[in-house]
Amino acid sequence: MTHCKIKFAFAAAVFAASASYAHAEWPNDRPIQMIVAFAPGGSTDVMARAIEPFLEKELGADIVIENRPGASGEIAYTALSKAKPDGYTFSYINTPGYLSMQVQRKLGYDPKTIKPIVRIVDDPTAIVVPAASEIKTLKDFVDAAKAKPGAVSYGSSGVGTDDHLAIILLGAATGTTFTHIPFSGAGETRTAILGSQVSGGGLNISEFAGNDTSGLRMIAHFGTDRSPQLPDVPTAKEQGFDVEMTSERGIAAPRELSDEITQKFGEAMKKVLDNPEFQKQAKQLALPLAYLSGPDWEKQMPDRLARFQKIWNETPWVK
Amino acid sequence: MAFLDVLMLGFSEAFTPTNLFFCFVGALLGTLIGVLPGIGPTATVAILLPVTFFLPPLGALIMLAGIFYGAQYGGSTTAILVNLPGEASAVVTAIDGYQMARKGRAGAALAIAALGSFFAGTVATIGLAVAGPTLSSFALSFGPAEYVSLCIFGLLAATILAHGSVIKAIGMVCLGLVLGMVGIDVNSGSTRLTFGSTELYDGIDFVVIAVGLFGVAEIASNLEFKEARGVLQSTIGRLWPTKQEFKESWGAVLRGTGVGTILGVLPGGGATLSAFSAYSVEKKISKTPEKFGHGAIAGVAGPEAANNAGAQSSFIPLLTLGIPSNSIMAMMLGAMTIHGITPGPSVIQNQPELFWGLVASMWIGNAMLLVINLPLIGVWVRLLKVPYRLLYPAILLFCCIGVYSVNNRGFDVALVILFGVLGYVLRKAKCEAGPLLLGFVLGPLLETNLRRALLLSQGDPLVFVERPISAVLLLITAGMLLTLILPAIRKGRKEAFEASED
Repeated sequence: MTHCKIKFAFAAAVFAASASYAHAEWPNDRPIQMIVAFAPGGSTDVMARAIEPFLEKELGADIVIENRPGASGEIAYTALSKAKPDGYTFSYINTPGYLSMQVQRKLGYDPKTIKPIVRIVDDPTAIVVPAASEIKTLKDFVDAAKAKPGAVSYGSSGVGTDDHLAIILLGAATGTTFTHIPFSGAGETRTAILGSQVSGGGLNISEFAGNDTSGLRMIAHFGTDRSPQLPDVPTAKEQGFDVEMTSERGIAAPRELSDEITQKFGEAMKKVLDNPEFQKQAKQLALPLAYLSGPDWEKQMPDRLARFQKIWNETPWVK
Repeated sequence: MAFLDVLMLGFSEAFTPTNLFFCFVGALLGTLIGVLPGIGPTATVAILLPVTFFLPPLGALIMLAGIFYGAQYGGSTTAILVNLPGEASAVVTAIDGYQMARKGRAGAALAIAALGSFFAGTVATIGLAVAGPTLSSFALSFGPAEYVSLCIFGLLAATILAHGSVIKAIGMVCLGLVLGMVGIDVNSGSTRLTFGSTELYDGIDFVVIAVGLFGVAEIASNLEFKEARGVLQSTIGRLWPTKQEFKESWGAVLRGTGVGTILGVLPGGGATLSAFSAYSVEKKISKTPEKFGHGAIAGVAGPEAANNAGAQSSFIPLLTLGIPSNSIMAMMLGAMTIHGITPGPSVIQNQPELFWGLVASMWIGNAMLLVINLPLIGVWVRLLKVPYRLLYPAILLFCCIGVYSVNNRGFDVALVILFGVLGYVLRKAKCEAGPLLLGFVLGPLLETNLRRALLLSQGDPLVFVERPISAVLLLITAGMLLTLILPAIRKGRKEAFEASED
């Protein structure tokens, strides 16, 4: 090959590369950014990183996880609502935070500008007590609080979290008062329960079963049905208390995202969730997988939002 | 003997060529990044965390642990050489270490820091192996009331620790407490001192305050001197400490190790509180307290041993209970979860090779640090011999990258500049930033636990004296307060500081 030819070949290669760059179809133009609204190492982050390689394979694209923690997710959701709807920015969203936030304060973004794409898990809230505790059932827990108002303390992972809302609902349903002690995260709540600093506390099924459970006992969870992770734990409903509370996690995109990309992305996620390899990993992380398509998930939201609004009107959790 | 058996198991796991390699790479990378001013262990581990996701579980943990204590040690190097503590735990090292460096004894300070850290690391690792499960149940008995008493103790210690006016030190602690209040109130969920900015909802990040008050302010005040000061105006000096220096520091190393091992176990305690406590212990019992702040080697040896012991023993609650005691441990927890390991007592039972392999690798890693650091100090120093006019923009850049990397937010970088200005003004007013930082760190812990304790006791303040551990801590605090107030002793303290000011 002559010198000139090499030059030409090189130029052609560069041109071809730049041309293919400019015309690359979604999702191969550049890496897809997945925003996680919580710090690295948290349960949402761990889940996102477990999904990443599977989703990359399904989409045939690169994915970059970006942690934008802060303000219970508001910072991440605001970033999502302002992102270009080109299919290169998605964010994980969590309920009830995503919904209850709308009730409790004016937000930096309009929830209407965000479109849920897929629900991944539905994780029931549960009440956990120290293993040595005399409290064995939810009825014991409520009776103890009735017998001595204020003496039963309940640790949660923060104000306005699903743990907190669950105990407000339980209190309203039974006419009892529990002393609510907010901690800053599930890890701290666990420590407090283990050390018997509180009578009991709220943890989600995955937060409970995904860790070492010795020294702890779950007396009830607030899911609709028994959980496959912990089939021996009765629901609150079974024990005669009509309270339901779960924490959902899924993926959302800017509202204007085209139907085509929305559908492709949703289908890829469905395939990931159906993949036995992924399911094995999800089992290790004790993730209660509960696929729901974006439209189906969004349909449920107004109902949930109304429930939170009702709790807020009766007992606002932020003064 | 069962204990020897499991230790043998651990060493046989850790001594495989690949694991030794991961350990070495981790310690080297950690030191390299930790030496860069403004980037502490938290930022270093955060930056390098993704690298380990592709390794086998034990290899990943060994490498992360190596990065962690490598960065911890690298942070002390910059604290001594250029007065830039990478993290809060190295703040006290900078007080006397930097003074030693200015007197041409940087070599001795670095060597003592390395040897003290190695000794403390060895003891704390043995402590982790022997007493892990027992100590973790002690940590569990620390409820809100105990934390309140511990924080009060820590804050009072901070004012005694301060150099100069007690009033100014108390003022600084209070300023730190106020800064610690910024953000969403955990109990009511309402926002405080955020001025409507969502960026402040989660409060101000520790790294932002530390880098601003210490890093940027140091650079700013250095600029007052026309290149005369440089970064390091003297040579490292003889590396091996003199007999006298050994004599002055071995006791401090022992005491620091003890303080660090115990305080490191407490969730939320860790390396910082250990280092601060060790420093005040040394200053208290020293026959020549006036030397502190002017290059007392015990003031380097004690805190360095304590922060390393604290860093090692903070693995105890994580590995035995699955409870991270600080942000780095939280990242370790995340890394373990990614690899399908659930930290908790079950790890010791079900995956003994993993637990004991990690324990053994910690000791190996500490030995490697000694090897990496002492002969290579020359290399790290050359990194710092670059002329200041070239180095300071680079340091500022690294500070900005480090701060940005914590939350990926430009807002934090802007805050750093603000705190840099504040730090400079405080220096001019002869107010120490150390107590401010401690107030900032302990404030939120104190407040949330005070409220929790009172919620749990239904408003009865007697809970603080009814619980034995809390009562003992309060008693010690009262004793300290008494020594501060009693006229005779107060005069003695004043004289000590005046003599030292000369």
